[in-house]
Amino acid sequence: MGFSRLAAAITVLFASAAACASGDRTFERQVPAQAHGVVDISNVSGTVVVTGWDRPEVSVRAALDEGVERVDVSTDHGRTTVKVVLPHHGHGGDADLHVQVPKDSELTVSAVSADVATAGVTGVQRLNTVSGDITAELGGSDLELKSVSGNVKLKGHGQPARLHVSTVSGDVHLEHGAGDVEAGTVSGTLVVSLDSARSVRARSTSGDVHFEGKLVRGADFDATSVSGDLNVRASAESGYAYEISTFSGDISNCFNATPSERGHMPGHTLQGTRGDGAGHMHLKTMSGDVQLCDRK
Amino acid sequence: MSGADERRVSSLRELSPAIEPARDLWPQIEARINAERSTAAPPRPARARAVPPRWLAAAAVVASVAVGVWIGRSLLPAARPGAQSPINPSRATFADAPTALDVAYVPDPRYQRDRAALMKTLQARLAALPPPARAKVMASLAAIQGAKQDLQNALGKDPGNALLQELLVNTYQDEMRVLTDVHEASDPGRGI
Repeated sequence: MGFSRLAAAITVLFASAAACASGDRTFERQVPAQAHGVVDISNVSGTVVVTGWDRPEVSVRAALDEGVERVDVSTDHGRTTVKVVLPHHGHGGDADLHVQVPKDSELTVSAVSADVATAGVTGVQRLNTVSGDITAELGGSDLELKSVSGNVKLKGHGQPARLHVSTVSGDVHLEHGAGDVEAGTVSGTLVVSLDSARSVRARSTSGDVHFEGKLVRGADFDATSVSGDLNVRASAESGYAYEISTFSGDISNCFNATPSERGHMPGHTLQGTRGDGAGHMHLKTMSGDVQLCDRK
Repeated sequence: MSGADERRVSSLRELSPAIEPARDLWPQIEARINAERSTAAPPRPARARAVPPRWLAAAAVVASVAVGVWIGRSLLPAARPGAQSPINPSRATFADAPTALDVAYVPDPRYQRDRAALMKTLQARLAALPPPARAKVMASLAAIQGAKQDLQNALGKDPGNALLQELLVNTYQDEMRVLTDVHEASDPGRGI
């Protein structure tokens, strides 16, 4: 027993010495939190990993570069704040945060170049980065996600929710989403796969849009692009009325409908109805090509 | 006529070319008119002058264009809550990108003011971003500029194209979103 304690003490001593030698520090803190409380996390550089759990507390573990001053954790009236503080002078450093929160928490994460990942959080999520990538698991609640140049990867479980995603140049990949989706990018690529969509709004300037999924009865689908291509494979039990227009792009489809020209003016249009026509689909581009298929 | 004055006329030439009234009626007529003027209500404003047909035609054209623009804009998908529409119908050209375009659109003054303010600090804001993000944002802004230019050129060929108008409005909104995101992203302690 005495030998074990001595061995453990020596191990801790060597681990601390190694951490000091590399300039890294660790940080740990737990604070009580409400089951449906609010958790705000901010970090400049490094990583932020958030997981939901069943305990009514927030746990923070962090590995800090020497350029990081400290981590502040505070809680007040159901709101828990985790903030990585950098010194006023200097270049700052990375902080790798692992935060466990009550799974029904309302979560907000703001990062600059830090990558953000969430899993097991069923409350509302608001995730923002500048250049960091975002990976999130959809938990059935609303998600608002914004990134400048970071890529976004989302995975759902087919539970309906409202998703609002926008990037400037980052790509967006969404799998097994459902409900209402609004996605926009300037030059990134949107790849969206929905198990059941009630409304879809996708907008791009030069990035391509790929959609695959099933539309519920009466769903609205609207996708526009200036020069990006629109590739839509959408099925709907009750069908949809479709209207496609492009100024100089090509229109193709898997049901052998023939686009018509706009008289003497440039441009093509294609409109018609699939099935009962209960839903509505509008696809518009200036120079991008449009592909529509009513089969997944 | 009395029987003494009665005589047979066998030709029109036998008739007198002018018959003076037995008494001068004009003084009485003038007096009556003057009396009516003095008792009548204040004079009504003169009726609008008849509009020359060419002005009617021009007005009809302007009205048609306005209705067309209104229809085009009313069919646009709703913008994000709180997002301001950058375009106002007007007879002018783009202030920030003069082209041969002759479309009845111009960015509205508030949009221009907000955009100018964001553009003024853009370089400083970009400099505050991490270098990889800065390069990507600049590429995206260039993509937006290219898209605007392409749309304006296309609208120059087909000014009434509602699709192009809609896409141009979208592009202006996207540009404002990017500028706002960059502004917020580089705001110390705030983040996007």
